[in-house]
Amino acid sequence: MDLSRHLRGLNQARIVVAITVLIFVIASVALPGFLTPDNLIAIIRSVSVLGILALGMAIVIIGRGIDLSMVAVMAMSVAWYLQLLNNGWGDHAALALALAGVLAIGLVNGFLVAYADVPAIFVTLATGSFTFGFVRSQLIAQDAVTVPGDHWIIGLGKARPADVPADIYIFLILAFAAFLFLRFTKWGRYVYYAGDNPLAARNAGMPVRPMLVLRYVLSALSAFIAGLLTASSLQSINTRVVNSNLLYDIVLVAVIGGIGLSGGKGGVRNVLIGAALIGILLNVMTILDIPQLEQNLIKSTILLVAILIDGLLNPRDEQTAQQGDI
Amino acid sequence: MTPLVQMEKISKAYRGVPAVREVDFDLFPGEIHALLGENGAGKSTLTKMMAGVVDPSSGRILLDGQEVTFASPNAALDAGIAMVFQETSLIPSMTVAQNLYLGTEKALNRLRGTYISAQQFLQSLNFAVDPTAMVDTLGAAKRQMVEIARAVHHRARVIIFDEPTASLTPEEKRHFFALLQRLKSSGVAIVFISHALEEALQISDRITILRDGELVSHGATRDYDRDKIIAAMVGRTLSGALYRKRDASTLRRPGKKALSVQDISQGRAVRNTSFSVFEGQITGVFGLIGSGRTETFKIVAGITKRDFLMGGTIELYDRPVRYYTPAEAVADGIVYVTEDRKIEGFFETMSVAENLFGGLLASPHHHGAVVRMSEMRDLAAEWTKKLNVKAINDNARVVELSGGNQQKVVIGKGLVQRPRLVIFDEPTRGVDVAAIAEIHKIVNDLADSGLAVVMISSYLPEVLNLSDRILVCRQGRIVEELSPLEATEEKIMYAAVH
Repeated sequence: MDLSRHLRGLNQARIVVAITVLIFVIASVALPGFLTPDNLIAIIRSVSVLGILALGMAIVIIGRGIDLSMVAVMAMSVAWYLQLLNNGWGDHAALALALAGVLAIGLVNGFLVAYADVPAIFVTLATGSFTFGFVRSQLIAQDAVTVPGDHWIIGLGKARPADVPADIYIFLILAFAAFLFLRFTKWGRYVYYAGDNPLAARNAGMPVRPMLVLRYVLSALSAFIAGLLTASSLQSINTRVVNSNLLYDIVLVAVIGGIGLSGGKGGVRNVLIGAALIGILLNVMTILDIPQLEQNLIKSTILLVAILIDGLLNPRDEQTAQQGDI
Repeated sequence: MTPLVQMEKISKAYRGVPAVREVDFDLFPGEIHALLGENGAGKSTLTKMMAGVVDPSSGRILLDGQEVTFASPNAALDAGIAMVFQETSLIPSMTVAQNLYLGTEKALNRLRGTYISAQQFLQSLNFAVDPTAMVDTLGAAKRQMVEIARAVHHRARVIIFDEPTASLTPEEKRHFFALLQRLKSSGVAIVFISHALEEALQISDRITILRDGELVSHGATRDYDRDKIIAAMVGRTLSGALYRKRDASTLRRPGKKALSVQDISQGRAVRNTSFSVFEGQITGVFGLIGSGRTETFKIVAGITKRDFLMGGTIELYDRPVRYYTPAEAVADGIVYVTEDRKIEGFFETMSVAENLFGGLLASPHHHGAVVRMSEMRDLAAEWTKKLNVKAINDNARVVELSGGNQQKVVIGKGLVQRPRLVIFDEPTRGVDVAAIAEIHKIVNDLADSGLAVVMISSYLPEVLNLSDRILVCRQGRIVEELSPLEATEEKIMYAAVH
């Protein structure tokens, strides 16, 4: 208990910024090829997709939820979209259909959590595996679906305004939009109130349930955009990503930046901080040629520590919560 | 005789803010020691240090004359010091027996054996609680019995009760006091924290009074009376103003009929209840726990979840209404101020300003989708001044405020929505004496300004003093209407229990 009080004096975001700067400085000095414009852009690019996913996840987590279906939605929606294109569908029709599918998953997630009162972790786990299973078995032929040769997605991947890849612009635009939404709109503020105390938010007259649905729709949409960007850089989408560690990386970025899993805390700033740390860390590990398995080990350890610190900083325990009551 | 527990020059500061300052406290076996003071006076902190929940910043704790430091509440429990919390710490999804033996189960335990021994144990305490019942099906009083039984089961030599009677009916209180006497005669030392001064005067042997974290008065209970205690607690004589006598000239006349409820029923909680509420006066609603008074008004305000109303009509200004969410009621100008502010009243990690602003955002009086921080600051400045909310600083989280200030924030959060009908549910529960007077003034001012005000309360002096009409609720319905001129505590209680 004493530890938690000492830690609360510090600010998680500040600690993470300090660690990030430290790693950055050490890497700049010790690692040749780290501090070059190309590498720095590569770092940001590598976290753009992750960052977009983390933005969607952050909005859900701030509202005291979690969306485990994001990676499935990201891969399967884009795979289906590309499959439709490859099957000869027109671009608008295919895009509309894929988008409708994405919205449907978001709505189902939201409705089940908000109106059926099923815990988010189970709802999204189930809809995630349903999406994967259904699309993989019924709608697409192979694990990986390629982008048709002349499609705009390829162009998006090659576009480099001012020598900076387009993903980075899209990430920054979305981050700014999310910032405006959370900070300056009524519905964005509702996310925090509902995350802090859903019952009090409801009693005050806030539309708690519709807002919950909206959050899951937003996270599904951000997954779709992240999927399009993935396809644009790789010129295909591999649905095996659903079974990878990507989901944990998303939670890692959100939580390590200081978005409390207990809800009501954090913002876009925290996502950017988390993305910066993870981006630099992944880059350093790649330059150092640390094998994938060890990288996963390191990342999962960091996630565990981050969740532990989060638990200490944002306790939801009756007795500790009473400590202010003197 | 040496004291069982002795605290010497004990202090505690939270982030530099002193909560308890160099207090000496002692406790003898077989005594009931009442610990009194306003909220924020340091009573809870003092006892939490004794029970190992909070570490002292300085000072010594002696148990049987030996200096001790408790690493955790469990260590204190092992040493024989148990604390029964305001908010009970039972596990709702387990049975009474499982809760009773929580943490002391044998490695291999048979459920049946547990139930039999729990049954015997509860009987030995004279508690009528079914050991196989799930805790979440029990009322507040029975939960408390289970907590007490658990403390006794751990062979506690010291039991600390923090506001034990707040949720008990008069009948249950009598049982509880009888139990305290029995514990006392078996040599257990009891610390009794309460806002109910009459109770403290009635059952305690000694009284210690804290103010602003300091010891201001202590001695044998026979040397105290109500006025002397209150004077020590707040440093001024208040009880006269709080308990003035009513006469016809102080009663407000009813204005337009704001709310009319006809024959609504819901489950077992609310049965065929009918009543009206008028503008410009305070309608006091008295009822014992379980009488359905909160449930009735939660239906009116749309708070009840998944409610299936079984017949009946609700009319707001002669217009039939039926709310399924609080949002609809708020849009129509109905605000419900909850009795359970921590669970469903305030946003605990947020500041006072954010809490107040949340109320405005959710009301029809906030226009547009864009939110400005200046709007929030202005609102907070206006209302903290109006309601006299005191926080350490602007960024203080609401959970860090005293009970009275928290309650003012919850009330303010409702009032910024500019309601036409305000329903207060136990507005002064867990609130210190000085804040009670301020909250009463707020309630009175609202009625004076022409609003329809409902005040649900189980504190009779409050009902008698504030109400312009008194409704009595029993077994899910309003059974009696009294004028405060004719009503007495006895008459109201008679209607509530018979």
